[in-house]
Amino acid sequence: MFCRNQTARATVARGSALEMEIRRGKFRKSVFLDTSQDSDIQKKIDHEIRMRDGACKLLAACSQKDQALEAAKSLQTCSTRIMAYMSELQRMKEAQVMQKATRRSSDAGPMDDRLPCKGKVAISDLRIPLMWKDTEYFKNKGELHRCAVFCLLQLGEEIFDTDMVIVDRTLTDICFDNTIVFSEASPGFELRVELYSCCSEDDYSAGSTPRKLASKLSSSLGRSAGKKLRAAMEPGPCSPVSNGGGAPLLLPVPSVPGPKYHLLAHTTLSLSHVQDSFRTHDLIISGNEECSYWLPLYGSMCSRLAAQPHCMTQQMMSGCLKVKQQCGGDPQSWTKVHAVLKGTSLFCYYRQEDVEANVEPAFTIGINKETRIRASEKDPLSKVQNICISNHYGGEEVTHTVTTDSREETHRWMEAFWQHFYDMSQWKQCCDDLMKIELPSPRKPAPITPKQGSLYHEMVIESSDDLSSTVSDILARRMQELELRSQLGTSPTWMSAFEESNARCTGRSRHCTRMSGHSPCTPHRLPRSPVSPHRCPQLGLLSSDASLTSDSDSHCSTSPCSHHHGWPEPTSSYSLLSSSPSRLRPRTLSLDAKLSTLRGRGYGGGGTFQCSCQPPPSSLLAPLPISSRSPRSQHSTQTTLSCSSSTSSNSSSNSEGSHSPESSEGGPFSRPSPARRSLRNLRARLDPRNWLQSQV
Amino acid sequence: MSFVPGQPVTAVVERIEIQKLRQGENLILGFSIGGGIDQDPGQNPFSEDKSDKGIYVTRISPKGPADLAGLKIGDKIMQVNGWDMTMVTHDQAHKKLTKKKEDVVRLLVTRKSLEEAVKQSKGSYPKH
Repeated sequence: MFCRNQTARATVARGSALEMEIRRGKFRKSVFLDTSQDSDIQKKIDHEIRMRDGACKLLAACSQKDQALEAAKSLQTCSTRIMAYMSELQRMKEAQVMQKATRRSSDAGPMDDRLPCKGKVAISDLRIPLMWKDTEYFKNKGELHRCAVFCLLQLGEEIFDTDMVIVDRTLTDICFDNTIVFSEASPGFELRVELYSCCSEDDYSAGSTPRKLASKLSSSLGRSAGKKLRAAMEPGPCSPVSNGGGAPLLLPVPSVPGPKYHLLAHTTLSLSHVQDSFRTHDLIISGNEECSYWLPLYGSMCSRLAAQPHCMTQQMMSGCLKVKQQCGGDPQSWTKVHAVLKGTSLFCYYRQEDVEANVEPAFTIGINKETRIRASEKDPLSKVQNICISNHYGGEEVTHTVTTDSREETHRWMEAFWQHFYDMSQWKQCCDDLMKIELPSPRKPAPITPKQGSLYHEMVIESSDDLSSTVSDILARRMQELELRSQLGTSPTWMSAFEESNARCTGRSRHCTRMSGHSPCTPHRLPRSPVSPHRCPQLGLLSSDASLTSDSDSHCSTSPCSHHHGWPEPTSSYSLLSSSPSRLRPRTLSLDAKLSTLRGRGYGGGGTFQCSCQPPPSSLLAPLPISSRSPRSQHSTQTTLSCSSSTSSNSSSNSEGSHSPESSEGGPFSRPSPARRSLRNLRARLDPRNWLQSQV
Repeated sequence: MSFVPGQPVTAVVERIEIQKLRQGENLILGFSIGGGIDQDPGQNPFSEDKSDKGIYVTRISPKGPADLAGLKIGDKIMQVNGWDMTMVTHDQAHKKLTKKKEDVVRLLVTRKSLEEAVKQSKGSYPKH
C-alpha cells in the first residue's frame, strides 16, 4: 500500500492490527482526523448522493420516454461519480493512516522527485462510426431499433457525461458535439471513455410489461426477438460495488424501474494520444448482438484530444533579471528587464506594467527542449553566478547571459528553469506548441436538423415545365439555408456538381435504363473519419440529377451525423427517369414516380446510362467519376447495334446498349469528387428501381 | 406465367434458333431484353403477371436476325442454349446471350398466344 504522492515510503507492517483495520474499511471519523481535503470530497459525495436521489425520484415519476432516458443518464453519471469520490476518499484515508502509523518516515527530505505541472485536457468532437448491415440500412427492413447513447468521460476524479443521442439505423455515426475540459490533469493521465447505451423501444421499457406476459411474449416470439426482449426485461448487470482493496461502506445502487444504461464500449486515452488534430482510437466493445442495447459499432472512435499544460498557459516564474547585451561590449552593460517565463519563451519586458498592458516584450528568449541553460562561473564583481541560456537559431548558437541581484534569486530562477524543462519533458508533444482548446460556449439553440427520414419527405419540387429553372431555384434556396444554418466551413460541394450539370441537364429519356451489376465499392468518407474501405456496401451507379443531388446533399450537410452513406445494394442503381406520354409505364409508388410526373425530363446517368429512344444526344448528364473508376468489366464487351450510331462507349463507362441512335457521350466525364460523394449519398437515399433493358 | 415457389413451372414454348450476325467485331442478335430477378417487375409492360421477374423481349430490330428467326416482341425467354432464364439477373441473361464463342443461340420462348393456341386445340379434342 504505497502512496505515490507522498514522499513517505514506509509501509504498514503486514499483519498488523492497523492493516486489518484498513482492510475492513472501518473508518471512524473520531479516530482519524479529517483534513480539509477529506471534507471537500465528503461534500462532493453528499452532493452527488442528493443528485442521485433526485434522479431516482424523477425516473420513477416521469412518463415521457426521453425524460426517463435523461434521468437514467443522470443517474448513471451520479453513480459513477459517487464511486470515484468514494475511492478517492479511501485513498486519502489510507494515506493518512500510513502517515500517522509510520513514525520513522519523517525524512521528507528534499524533494528529489519533481512533480510535473498539471494541465488542462480537452476532448471534443467525439464520433463513433456504426456499421449497419446492408439490408438493415438501405432496405429499412425490420423494426427500427433505436438506442439512446451517451459517453461518460472520466479523468482522475473528474467525470463528465456528454449529451444523449438517439441512434437508429438511419445514422451512420454517433456524434457528440460536446467539448469536455478536464482542468487538473497530470501528464500521466488516463482518460477513460465509456459508451453507454440503452434500448429505447417502447415495447421494451423494463417494468412496463407484466412479467408473466413478458415471458409469454418472449417465448412466443422468434428467437432473436425473444432474446432481446428477455434481455431488456431483466434488470441488467448491476453496477460493480467492489472498490478494490478494502471496500468502504458504499451505498448500494438503487434499482429503479425504468431504462437502464449498459456499457457498450470503452477505451482509455493518455498522453500519447494527445494531438492537435483528429485521431482514431480503437474501442473495446462489451456486449454482443443478443443484448438489447447492442449497436453495430465499427470498432473505433474518432476524437480530438488536446492538452494545455499549465507551463504553457501560465506564468511559471517572473521577476527581475539583468540581461547582458548580446554583442560583446561593456561587461557592465546589463539591461534590467522584468522577465516572465511562460510557454516556450522567456519574455523580457522593460517594465513590469508592460506585462499587464499587453505591450510587446522587449525581447524574447526561447526556452524549449533544445535550449541549454547552465550556470556560469561566479562573476568576480558581484559574486553572483550568471545563467547562460543557449539556443540554436538556424545554424548558429546564440547565448544570452542573465543574472540577478542575489544568489537566492539566481537559485530560484535556476529552479524554475529546471522545473520548466521537467514539465516539458513530461508533457512531451503538448509543449511544442500551444494547442487550442475551445471552451464550451453557452448553449446555442441547436440548428434545426431535418427529420431523419427518407429524402422523399424533404424534397419539394413544384412541378413545372421548366425543370432546370425550378431546380436552380431550389438549389439557390437551399444554398442560402445551408449557409445560414450550418457551421460547415466548406460550401456545399454539390453546388459545383450543379453548375456543371446544369448545362447538360436537358436530357430526355423515354426509358428507364439502369445499370445493374456490381462494382467494388469505393468508399468515400470525409477526411475526418478514417474508416477503412471494406465497410461500405456495394456500389451502384447514379445519375447525377442536379436537383436530387442538391437536395440530398443539403440534407446531409445539415444533419452532421449522417455524412457517410454507403452504396445501395448492388442492383439498385439510379435510373434515368422518364415519363414519356407515349409509353405506358406502370407507376411505382416511389420517388421516381413522383419525379417522373415532372414532364419529360430525363436525368442523365453517369456515362453508363444510355438514353434510349429518341432523346437528343446531349442528354447524358455528367457522369460520375465513380463510373469511370468502377471496373465494370462484365460490361466492357457490350455489343451494340450497328444501326445505332451510338458509340456506346466500351470505355470504362460501361454503357449498356442503347436503343436509339444517339450518341452516347459515354465517355466518362470528369467530375469533382465532392459531387460524386453527394451523388452517392443521393443514391443511397433514393432507391428507385427500374426495369433495365439491354441490347443483344 | 408466374410461378409458385417450390412448384415446377410449365409453359408452352416455341423453339427459336437465331444465327448471330457479325457486325464488325460484334456478334449481334438484333433484339433487346428486359427484366431479371434484380429488376423491378412491376414496370414490365409485357408481362401478364406483374410479379414475373423473367426475361422478356422488349424490342426487335426489324430485319435483324431475331426478327427473321421469328422472335416476337413481348416473348418471355425461358432458356438460352440450355441455360435457364427464368431465375437470372439481367446481367446474367445478357451474358448468356452474348457469348462470343457461340454464333447461334437456341431459345425457348413462350408467349400468351401459344397458350391460347394449345388451349384451343385441346378444347376441340375432347379428352378420352
